[in-house]
Amino acid sequence: MLQKLLAGVAVSGWLAVALAAQTASAPKTVNGLQVSVAKIERMEKAFLRDCPPGTNTVNAVQRPGDELAVVTVNFKVMPDFKPTMMKRPTATATDDKVYNTSVQFVDVGSVPEYSCQFIYRVPAGTKLKTFTVESATFDIASLDK
Amino acid sequence: MEIDRRAFIASLGGAAAVAAMDHEAKAEALEHYMEDQLDEQVAANQGGQPEKFPTVAEIEAQIETRPYRRGTGGVFTGQRGQNVKKLEPMPDKATLQDFFRLRFAPANHVLQSATRAMKTGMSEEIILACLLHDCVLSLIKPDHGWWGAQLFEPYIPEKSAFAIRYHQTLRFFPDEQAGYEYPDQYYRIFGHDYTPPQYIQDTYKMLKNHKWYMEPRLVTVNDLYAFDPNAKVSIEPFTDIIGRHFKQPKEGLGYDNSPSAHMWRTLARPDNPL
Repeated sequence: MLQKLLAGVAVSGWLAVALAAQTASAPKTVNGLQVSVAKIERMEKAFLRDCPPGTNTVNAVQRPGDELAVVTVNFKVMPDFKPTMMKRPTATATDDKVYNTSVQFVDVGSVPEYSCQFIYRVPAGTKLKTFTVESATFDIASLDK
Repeated sequence: MEIDRRAFIASLGGAAAVAAMDHEAKAEALEHYMEDQLDEQVAANQGGQPEKFPTVAEIEAQIETRPYRRGTGGVFTGQRGQNVKKLEPMPDKATLQDFFRLRFAPANHVLQSATRAMKTGMSEEIILACLLHDCVLSLIKPDHGWWGAQLFEPYIPEKSAFAIRYHQTLRFFPDEQAGYEYPDQYYRIFGHDYTPPQYIQDTYKMLKNHKWYMEPRLVTVNDLYAFDPNAKVSIEPFTDIIGRHFKQPKEGLGYDNSPSAHMWRTLARPDNPL
């Protein structure tokens, strides 16, 4: 009975750790924007939309040997936000190679809260470990399963 | 694109209705049907279903289904195979803004492109190039980079003309560092197995080592993100940039004896038979 109880506790603990690892990263504040990374997906096609997103209809398409790693990031405009130009965020893979996205920040303060999808074309099988937006770097290795 | 013959005939009201149509009406109906099918494919794709892109051969097979050529400028063809509309005449001493209003309209794509360039802090030469980069599609479509640069060259900064001329070439070559992806719309309109011709490849080689490489590249970056059907844009925010960088001829565009004056006159009077 005690053995079963301990096993149950162990499994619950493992599940809790595993789930925590796959949920959004802790938010950080950058240029008056609260930023958190929600998830990473691999997609065959992904809309090329700015951040905050509009309804642009052009897509990026996976090519043989490549993958589109799509990093979904949540943004919240904080009271101290001041409009500024922001550089495109980068993603770093486990082999330390840095990847650029074509998704650009445009009018970041125009909507109070929004999610953006940043597309990174990476060689198939690449795992991302960090995501950097301006001065903030997020550890995203646990999200890229 | 494969056409389901039965579904196509049914969509026109059956075999009797088709028999009553003349050849031109049939060709127009087929074009319309194919465009609708394409729209449906795109819509399905946006819903997550994989889209099957056509091959170069499939696109070539569509040539004889149309009463016009794909490269025909916008002012010379009707929308969706319909008859063309009578155009409002150009005013005397027409300005660039007059052409935007009466010949390039709605110009939504170039206005979106220039708006994005402005919001992302690009130079005025690049904003102007974005604003003008596809206007010549009203006149002619193949090699629109070269035609477009020629149309505007007498009136705009050299860098803007360079950017317009070569954005066409760079559209075929992704540059992830600069933020340019190869767009799915090119798989759709050129075919997924399309290879750019040798002169485009040679031009790309030249551009890669050119000190102004980034000028046309930035036009392509903004080009990519300027197909938003819901974007609200206007030419007003560009009035000052046009005023500073576009040398408006006092005689009006088309009548200043510039090397491209005849192109402006053709745009002004596309119904002239000769």
